[in-house]
Amino acid sequence: MNIGGIDLDTFLTAMLATGLLRAVPLVLAALGEAVAERAGLLNLGIEGMMLNGCFFGFYAAYRTDSMVVGMVAGILAALVLGLVFGVLTITLRVDQVLVGIAITIFSLGFTGYLFRDLLGGRNVSADVHPLRISIPGLRDIPIIGKALFDQQAIFYLSWALVPVFAFLLKRTRFGLNVRAVGENPFAADAAGVDVVRVRYLAIVIGGIMAGFAGAYLAVADLRIFTEGMTVGSGFIALAITMLGRWNPYRIVIGAVLFGMLRALGDGLQVIGVDIRTEFIGMMPYIGIMLALVVLAGRTALPSALGVPYVRGHR
Amino acid sequence: MRWQFGQTRSQAAERGEGAYPLPADAAHPSSVAASGAPIVEMRGITKRFGPVVANNHVDLTLREGEIHAVLGENGAGKTTLMNILSGMYQPDAGTILIRGRETKIATPADALRQGIGTVYQHFTLVPNLTVIENVALGAEPGFLLDLAAAERRLAQLLTDFELNASPHTEIRHLSLGQRQRVEIIKVLSRGSRVLLLDEPTSVLTPVEVEGLFAILRRLRANGVAVVLITHKLEEVLDVSDRVTILRQGRKIGEIGPEVISSGDRAAIRQRIVEMMFGGAPAEAPSASARASGAANGSTLLALQDVTALGDRGEVAVRGLSLELRAGEVFGIAGVDGNGQKELGEVIAGQRHVTRGRVILDGQDITNKGVAACSRLGIGYVTDDRLGEGCVPGMSVAENTVLKMVTRSPFSKGFWLNRGAIEAEARRLIGQFDVKTPSTATPITALSGGNIQKLLLARELAMNPRLLVCNKPTNGLDLKTAQFVLRTLREQADAGKAVLLISSELDELMQVSDRIGVIYNGQIVGIFERAAADLEAIGHLMLGGRERGVA
Repeated sequence: MNIGGIDLDTFLTAMLATGLLRAVPLVLAALGEAVAERAGLLNLGIEGMMLNGCFFGFYAAYRTDSMVVGMVAGILAALVLGLVFGVLTITLRVDQVLVGIAITIFSLGFTGYLFRDLLGGRNVSADVHPLRISIPGLRDIPIIGKALFDQQAIFYLSWALVPVFAFLLKRTRFGLNVRAVGENPFAADAAGVDVVRVRYLAIVIGGIMAGFAGAYLAVADLRIFTEGMTVGSGFIALAITMLGRWNPYRIVIGAVLFGMLRALGDGLQVIGVDIRTEFIGMMPYIGIMLALVVLAGRTALPSALGVPYVRGHR
Repeated sequence: MRWQFGQTRSQAAERGEGAYPLPADAAHPSSVAASGAPIVEMRGITKRFGPVVANNHVDLTLREGEIHAVLGENGAGKTTLMNILSGMYQPDAGTILIRGRETKIATPADALRQGIGTVYQHFTLVPNLTVIENVALGAEPGFLLDLAAAERRLAQLLTDFELNASPHTEIRHLSLGQRQRVEIIKVLSRGSRVLLLDEPTSVLTPVEVEGLFAILRRLRANGVAVVLITHKLEEVLDVSDRVTILRQGRKIGEIGPEVISSGDRAAIRQRIVEMMFGGAPAEAPSASARASGAANGSTLLALQDVTALGDRGEVAVRGLSLELRAGEVFGIAGVDGNGQKELGEVIAGQRHVTRGRVILDGQDITNKGVAACSRLGIGYVTDDRLGEGCVPGMSVAENTVLKMVTRSPFSKGFWLNRGAIEAEARRLIGQFDVKTPSTATPITALSGGNIQKLLLARELAMNPRLLVCNKPTNGLDLKTAQFVLRTLREQADAGKAVLLISSELDELMQVSDRIGVIYNGQIVGIFERAAADLEAIGHLMLGGRERGVA
């Protein structure tokens, strides 16, 4: 079957493949955010952390032509911001919303400045050669074959992290501590859990994952850096985390749906459907807002989300 | 890493487990069991919060196999003392000896490691975790969470305490009594040999209280040192071997098992009351109502077939009709959650009426709103003192004028008159004997009783014609409670109408002229006090058919 001269199978394959690719950074960032929020930390700095992951990841990869170095650099950059967030909100008990917004705004300016200073503001591309794993047999399945089984190694790694995080939250002591600390830190403290330590670990994980997401975007996927290239992905990840009610599997659903919506926009343009590109670009965000409106009442936030813990004060 | 330091605690848990199951012959008479060696000695404990001295050189010795009650009025320093022992607070002075060795309890985790387990008044359970997850929290060793193993290890404890719920139930589905048992299981599973309970009976039904006491007696037989923090005298006498009395942060006295077991309850009670209130025994029913029938005033407030919804959209007040006369205290008796809170809010103008009319002195005030009702002379004292009654972050003075701040002389146009506000706060503090370091103190630094006095003073300062009080004595010590009841009576005697909502039948009998029983959003019976029969009222409160109505 043909639409506008394009084979439907090819169209669907492209859409699915693009959708899953677009979903990856969202899933990564949202997994980290789920841990942080479960521990009571609302990380509005996630957008900035991703952006730092993008820039430092890209710059390191550009300089070394190594994808691994790029990924590690991106993760480290965001991790540092995670620690900054931790010191300010957990130890100094500054308002989380304030700190998060400050980190995001700072990162926008900071990466923009470095971009001009170090790269002259030019859109250079990193010469990295990601390891591609193509699984014989499976990749030949119609439509889903190429989308699922002919991808970069890091693509598979990212999806493998979903069950890892689900396990971490549900089946480990750390996960139990995280859930308790976000819901009733007083109870956790009384039971002998080190609330401060658990929260630091949670925000470090949040930072690492945001950095991973950013580095993936700039190093593995697009291989370029542009100013503000995350265009709200961090905030979308935040919304997806809440829509998925901090459950890694439900987070995947939200991320993939969002990714597909974006892919659909791209796909429609390719086919030549006559819609303004701005409208198409807007669609996935409208989708998120609708989902938030519909599901808003059903999400019970962790009770201690955004609340600093001081022993003996309640 | 985080998950490796559970090791020492799991050993403690194993030590503790050796003590269970509990012996079957646990129901020792108190005098036999209470003979143990000291486990914990607190010496000269002092703790200050700003200018408030919460504990002033307090000594406390806890012995094996003894139930030790710590008694005192609100604000006497009981909870502070316990929080020091549980590692929540650090004392400013004094030492703690555990089995004869001086020990610093730096954190709650420390206290648990030392075998001191605490059941706080506001439970420390995570509502959306299961029973077993809550018990395992902070206790299980290793990286992986092996709930099956935890369950096997805890099986005995869970059976012993007759939880009657699956360990995989989320806490939020359990009753308060069950939650308390989970709390006790939680600390015992960590090997606690000292069990601190802060006001453990305040959330329980009488049957549950008996169940709790049975558990405490078994623990005592097992050599556990139990500390009961409470202000309920009768309970203390039922279950304790030893009583320590605190007043204004100081230890006033201690009554040992030799006296308690003597059996002369009246004498012991008298002695304890003297210690708690400083020689002057609490004036019990001095604030009683005058001869009934005195309140023959004209009808001040009439509710006609009023229906209103509760917070969750359920019908809370159901076609209720009621008439209140000037000069009377009208008591509303009922089990919590039968619409009495909503009824109070309807009259105060805080809750929307979906059907029926509210008429104040001939004027229809249905759904006129809080401001109008307040202006027309309706005062309302909520049962939610901190949440609704005041603004926790603001000072005593600011809270005092909160409802009057738009009126002269407290503000003029855009500007506040600080001097007038200050003067009014001082006047009310003096008049109602509110204990506060200053008018600038944050209201949260005050005890519950003092906040209640202030809220009452604030309403009365506006000189209302009708005063609605929802559970005004809840959580107050005897003396303050009597003060509040006396004040309400005086208001009625001065010709005002008072609607007193309470779940304490005794106090309703003490001050009311008439008592209406509310059940399922309706008044199911109205009694003249003289003709009121406690049994009949209780029967109606629990949903029984009307019987012997005056």
